[in-house]
Formats: sequence, C-alpha cells, structure tokens
Amino acid sequence: MTDLAAKVAVALERSVIPSVIARGAALRVVAVEAGVATLEVTGSPGAVLPLASRIQARVRAAVPEITAVRITAPGQGPLPEGAESMAEQARRILDAEINPAIAAHHGHVTLDGVDRGLVQIRLEGGCQGCSLAEVTVRQGIEPLLRARLPGMAGVIDVTDHEAGTQPFFSAEKR
Amino acid sequence: MNCIADQNPPRVLLLVPARTYRAADFLAAAGRMGLDFLVGSDGALPLGGRPVVHVSGGDLPASADRIMALGTRFDAVVAADSPMLVLAAVVAEQMGLPHNPVQAVIAAASKAEQRRRWAAAAVPQPEFRVVPAAASNDALRKATAGAGFPCVVKAVSLSASQGILRADDLATAVTSARRIRRILAAAGRPAHEPLLVEEYVPGPELSIDGLLTNGDLAVTAIFDKPCASDGPTFEETVLITPSRLPMQVQAAAMATAEGAARALGLIHGPIHAELRIDQRRRQPQPVMLELAARSVGGLCSRALRFAGGMSLEELVLANALGRPTPRARQARPSGVLMLPVPRRGMLRAVDGRSDAAAVPGITGLTITIPIGQRLHPLPDGDRYLGFIFAEGGTPEEVQKALTTARGQLRVIIQ
Repeated sequence: MTDLAAKVAVALERSVIPSVIARGAALRVVAVEAGVATLEVTGSPGAVLPLASRIQARVRAAVPEITAVRITAPGQGPLPEGAESMAEQARRILDAEINPAIAAHHGHVTLDGVDRGLVQIRLEGGCQGCSLAEVTVRQGIEPLLRARLPGMAGVIDVTDHEAGTQPFFSAEKR
Repeated sequence: MNCIADQNPPRVLLLVPARTYRAADFLAAAGRMGLDFLVGSDGALPLGGRPVVHVSGGDLPASADRIMALGTRFDAVVAADSPMLVLAAVVAEQMGLPHNPVQAVIAAASKAEQRRRWAAAAVPQPEFRVVPAAASNDALRKATAGAGFPCVVKAVSLSASQGILRADDLATAVTSARRIRRILAAAGRPAHEPLLVEEYVPGPELSIDGLLTNGDLAVTAIFDKPCASDGPTFEETVLITPSRLPMQVQAAAMATAEGAARALGLIHGPIHAELRIDQRRRQPQPVMLELAARSVGGLCSRALRFAGGMSLEELVLANALGRPTPRARQARPSGVLMLPVPRRGMLRAVDGRSDAAAVPGITGLTITIPIGQRLHPLPDGDRYLGFIFAEGGTPEEVQKALTTARGQLRVIIQ
C-alpha cells in the first residue's frame, strides 16, 4: 500500500469505518491514483450510500492530496450517481431550478458542501443579507431539495449575511 | 375526539413584509413549533418548493382575495410586522378566526387616531393637536399654543422614531413641520396626511410588550429605556428588562397600556406600548406615547427568552392559535442596544466588533446595514445600524455591558 493509500485508510478507520460497519458493510482502499482514491464497499453497499458524501468530505479533509473519492462495489463498478453524492444532485437542483428563479432578485446560491445529510448552502448577490433570505431558504430551497433528495436531513445556510453589500430587500425598523 | 385532526400540525398563514427584521425569527419559531405554515409576502419569490403567496399590505382586497382563493383552512393568521397588520385582520375576519377588529388595527396605525380615541376614553396622554396637512403657520402656532412648549411634532404614520422632532419654540416647530412633511413625501405617504403636535413629557420612558386574549393583557416584558432621548430626535437606544421602576409604577403603566389597547378596540394578539412616567405631578403618572398592534420591532425580541426557552415569536404564534402562553420571563436580566445611525454618509466599516462582542455579558452583536450603503440618521432614516444584546446578573450589569460594547465600536462613515 502506498503512503497516500495508507493515509486514506487511516482517515477512514478513524472517522468512517465504525459507521460503515454499523450499517452492515465494510470498506477498504483499493487504489489511489492521480489524486483519486478508489474505495470498495462489501457487505451491504446500499448501507454506505447515505454516507458517500461524508466519506468524500472526510477523506479530502484528512488527506489534502486526494481530490476525489470513487466508491465501488465488487462486480458492480462505481456506485450509482444518485448515491455518489447528494452534493452533485443538490448542486444540479440549485443550478437548474433555484438559481434561475432567484436571478430575478440578482441572487445566486451555491453549494458549500454536504455533511451527514445536511446540505450547506451559501447565498450570494441580492440574497446575501436580504431581509427575506430566511423565507427563500425555508419556504423555497429547503422544501424543494427535500422533495428531490429523500435522504437529505436538512439545509444549513452558511452565508455571512452581515457581509452582504447589495441585499435585494433591506430591513427597516418598525 | 378527532384523533386524526389532533395529529395534524396547526396550519398558520404568516404574512411577512419584504423589509422586515422579523422574518427569520418568526420562521424559526414556526419551525420549532412544528407548525405547517404558509408565507404570504410582497417580496418573496415564488420558488418551487413551497410557493409563497404574493400579497401586499397596500392592496388589501386583491391580496385577501388571493389568499381566500387558495381554499386552504388555516388555524391562525399572523402578521410578522406592521405593513401586514391590516391584511392579517381582514383575512382572519373572512376566515372566522380570532382577530382584532379591522377598524381597531387601522386606528392603531395612526398616531392621530390613537390620540383621539385615548382622549375619548380618558387614557392618560400628552396634550395634543392634530394639524391638517395644508395648515398654515398660524394653524401650527395655535396647535403649539394648545400643546405648550416644549412640544413634539410627529408624523402620524411613521414608526421607529422616524419623522419625530422636538421643538422648543414656534420657529423650530415651523421648520420641524416642514422637514417632517418632506420625510413623509420621501416615504411615499399621502400628501393629505396630517401632523401631530403634542406636549413634550419629561421623565423615564418604558415600553410594554404583551399579548391580548379577549381584551385581557398578559405582559411579556417591561423594558426600561434608561438612555431615552430628550430630543430633538428620539432615537431608541437601550432597552433593559426587567424594569427597575417601582412596582406600583409598573402596575400603573401596565393598566394604562391595557386601557389604551382597549380604547383602540384591540382584543387579540401582541401589542407594543411606549409610555413615559410624567413626574411633574404629585404622583408619577404613566402617559401613553404610542401603541402598535404587534410585538417589539427590529431584532429586539432576541433579548427575551421565556419558559422552556421559548422565543417571543413562539408566544405570539401560540397566542394566535389559542394556546396558553407562559407569563413569566426567564429570571436573568437582559437587554438590547439599538445602534443609531450617527450621521449621514456612506457606511465604510464598523470596526471593533470582536472587542465589543468580547465584553463580558454580551450575548450577540449584529450589524444590519450593509457596508457601502448610504446612511440617513433620524429623523429622516428608518433603520438602525445594528443591535447589541446582553445578559447579566442585574439590569445595571446589562446596561454597563451594552454601553461598554458600544464604546468599542468605531463606525466609519464617508
């Protein structure tokens, strides 16, 4: 095992493997090439699907040389895209369904990450610091993502709203 | 007993104006309470997840029709802030839900109508005169003679101390009235709107927040305003609770606020009353300054926490749903400092935030005007620079923490 593969294995062992085992599966590092770590899941691959984004985040955080994580199952190749990452799905939904709508208020939303099923989003432009940002998140973005991503635990708005310079609506004291 | 109905969360229509500080706190409260809620707003985009109903407080019939056309049964209708109060009353009336009479809410939105109704009901208040929009300087002279000097010249429709000036003589009253009419025009108010000229009452100022149920007032907080201004503008700065005023004065103030709400015809939901204690009399007497049919404005409610960690917004929603609400606030004194806009110009920076936040007792600091925006101080502006929150062992500790934290901030304006 290469040094990088060993580092990935250590990262998994510390933060991920116990959860995988608890879900009836096992996970091992099979290759690290060109910054891509390939992991093989055995036992119950479906149990690992909800952890995919967390596994990717943990490995990339612990081993900066890793730029992507690929999870495979014996005889099945890479796990399906839907499982591959909630992040990718969330990003697609934001870009295809949310951003065109909020562009009318000069706003934009980006995916900051996904952690344990919690989708972290960042509001920009007219949405950053807007007095109705919470309405946009809680009545618009979160229900839409929840409908499309059944495994999603929730949406976290990580925006620094105080740093917004062009909010579409500014609050007035009443 | 209908078990199926009991398992469904109550459904609330939350009417949220676009330019409010209150949206996030009401949404968070509804979320914590597990309510099924729908938002009506004049600003939110109709996103696919949970379409927001487009409504406007300025277009009551069409907005009410749009809501009624949903055919949805709601258990309560709640306005998050002033611009939606009348619409909430109209819709609640049409749905047969507990609500304030529409005319009472309309009356409460006008400082002149408040004064007239309180006069008719003998609610203690300053001497006042209503000056028609087109009144001459001579009419203004007569009004000031009736109210006496020093007096306060007020717009009847604005809030947050916008359009309010003290005048110590006739010349100042005339220029103040002229300036306030310009502010009203800039705010898009009708040209026929009158002004209010009222006696200036010296003395301690306080505000009372409470919830009305069938006309009975349950007080949720009494805030002292230890830094209340003597004029010429009337920035709200520090609010501290519990009050340090003598108990009998607090009791008299609560009774006055309840009577003022009743005189306006308000019977249901939150009120926010502002009073001064007139100490020119043998017995200090609370006099009504203003009353709004909503909870405390801005982010000030974040200074309050109730039994079980409930927020003021949770109490407002519970009250609207007919649920019992705890009266006792958590024992720890708390307060908020609203940072006034110090002068006109472009906001470049607010430095010293870390130092301010590190002052013992400070629990929060939020700057609410974006860097790069133009600032307009009172009486022209209607926004505060931000809010500082504190808790302490005593009200004095809270006040000291707030003023010390404010002293750490350096507001850079160009």
